[in-house]
Amino acid sequence: MSKNQQMRKLEDFENPRIVPLQGTLFAASFFLMKLLPARFMLERATERGDLKPGATICESSSGTFGLALAMLAVQQHHPLLLVSDWALDRHLQRRLTELGARVSIVEVPAASGGLQRARLERLSAYLDDLPGSYWPCQYDNPDNPLSYGKVAALLIDRVGPVDCLVGPVGSGGSMCGIARNLRALFPELHTVGVDTPNSVLFGQPSGRINLSGLGGNILPANVDHTQFDEIHWLTPAEAYEATHDLHRRHGLFMGPTSGAAFRAAGWWADRNPGKTVIALMPDEGHRYVDTVYDPQWLASIPGWPNSVRDAPVTVSTPADPMPGWSRFEWNRRTLKAVLGPGDASI
Amino acid sequence: MPAATGYAQAMGHHGELVQGLFEDTGGFLKRALVSLPCPELRAKASFQPDDSNRIITLQPDRHKALLAAELTVAAFGPQGMGGALSLESNIPIGRGMGSSTADVLASILAVADCLQITVCAEQVMHIAVCAETACDSTLFQQQAVLFAHREGLVVESFRKALPAMEVISIDTTPGATVDTLEFEPARYATAEIEAFRPIRSLLRAAINAADARMLGRAATASAHINQRFLPKPRLDEIEAIGARSGAVGVQVAHSGTVVGLMFDKRDADAPRNIGQALDMLRRSAFEPTVFHN
Repeated sequence: MSKNQQMRKLEDFENPRIVPLQGTLFAASFFLMKLLPARFMLERATERGDLKPGATICESSSGTFGLALAMLAVQQHHPLLLVSDWALDRHLQRRLTELGARVSIVEVPAASGGLQRARLERLSAYLDDLPGSYWPCQYDNPDNPLSYGKVAALLIDRVGPVDCLVGPVGSGGSMCGIARNLRALFPELHTVGVDTPNSVLFGQPSGRINLSGLGGNILPANVDHTQFDEIHWLTPAEAYEATHDLHRRHGLFMGPTSGAAFRAAGWWADRNPGKTVIALMPDEGHRYVDTVYDPQWLASIPGWPNSVRDAPVTVSTPADPMPGWSRFEWNRRTLKAVLGPGDASI
Repeated sequence: MPAATGYAQAMGHHGELVQGLFEDTGGFLKRALVSLPCPELRAKASFQPDDSNRIITLQPDRHKALLAAELTVAAFGPQGMGGALSLESNIPIGRGMGSSTADVLASILAVADCLQITVCAEQVMHIAVCAETACDSTLFQQQAVLFAHREGLVVESFRKALPAMEVISIDTTPGATVDTLEFEPARYATAEIEAFRPIRSLLRAAINAADARMLGRAATASAHINQRFLPKPRLDEIEAIGARSGAVGVQVAHSGTVVGLMFDKRDADAPRNIGQALDMLRRSAFEPTVFHN
């Protein structure tokens, strides 16, 4: 057995299932997408000698990347330390603990950069304290996008040439990694990134983000803006509504970022009949039974269910206030080219 | 001792459609390629047996072909068998067009013909790799293969032969030659290794669907990766001419100097497109020639 095979015990879980939705629109539906970049980053780090056998892995995460690391850490016998915050779902926390991860919770946001910044500061202290510890750093690690060449291959295997790729953007790894690999073969590929209001990724002023897994308050190095033709922003209520719609109409029980991708992809597919469209759906719905799939919880969400737009409003600048589903033609520009040199947030 | 002279031919190629690093079924990365066979280019070998226990050739520069004949005789011939090996070829040398491999393959097959035996592809490949450390995939005509050229092993066998194409051949550095075997194998970066996965998928889809258009895109992506290792001067200009004249892609000799502009033979406009591309290439001071695959 090769060394790679030994590290790929969960490989069957990292590949998406391809589900036809309507016409030539397909879902690439992942059990837990982050297993792929997590496994790939650990493999490369081991090869380079950055991650030694038995060394502690440290990461900041309150979501699926932490879970993926915890599953792999068990298989590969690494202690895992995760820095998270109060938003960490209690079921996920229980699961992480059972997997042997040590979970450190940050309570107070940093003055700028919010909880995300505060978590990184604590993480940095742990890394200093633990000699030989390894930080995968999914936001900046170039192996994150590189791991998705395999998904690009699988999409070609299953649907052939791809015309349009739609997906949520968090670290930038999946969208930029798949887009780059597909564009080497199909240069005219159209890409639609899905973000949420108050996320700085595509130029919104920073603010509180109520939708985990989408956007962020810190700009990751792995977001390559020049890979995107078009950006959509969906509010949490809109993403949740789309998540239910995906479940009811297609039987796919997925998380809210999948719903957001489904909504934007359906909109684009309707306007471009005959084009092969892939919507990336990063995780399943089980983690969200107490939230997105709970009517009582949903009733507490601002704007649920009445302020949901059924089509995006095209904005003239991504810095505009976005009370609902918005859209901007990014045209593969850099963030600076879009916002102009005067913007202080870059 | 066989008395009759054995004859055989082997084909040259116009570089590769794809060459890179690919996972085999065991998850190990292998250097592998798909050659673009060129039936107009051939090496012809004849082997006249005798009982001298020694093989000679009148062409002393063909020592790899001689070694291949010796290995074949040693493996399959009777004790004491010797003979005279003679070769002729119209394959250009040092262009990455498989002249040396074609000599080797023709020699192995000429000895086999003389012995009146059929040697299976695996054994032919094994001898060829022993004689010159690498081999190409021109032997596989009925079904295209992704071929580990330094090991003589098939990494993946596709369902069909390559789709029909017309290729305009351009030698980018007519004065220089590349010693295929001295040329150090490419050290691919992680990004390139991962990029070969979708390229392989499109290659497979293209061959199985007999789609020259998709094949052109896979070949172009492979050619771009190769630019970091053995760059073809003015490749971008050749590509631009191709884009304006309906070419489906470019392919290169990954260990040579030639570039091919690929056209879909099933496209009714192909002859006109090729004529247009030839004009544009000549006006840009290239020296193009056309061959059929």
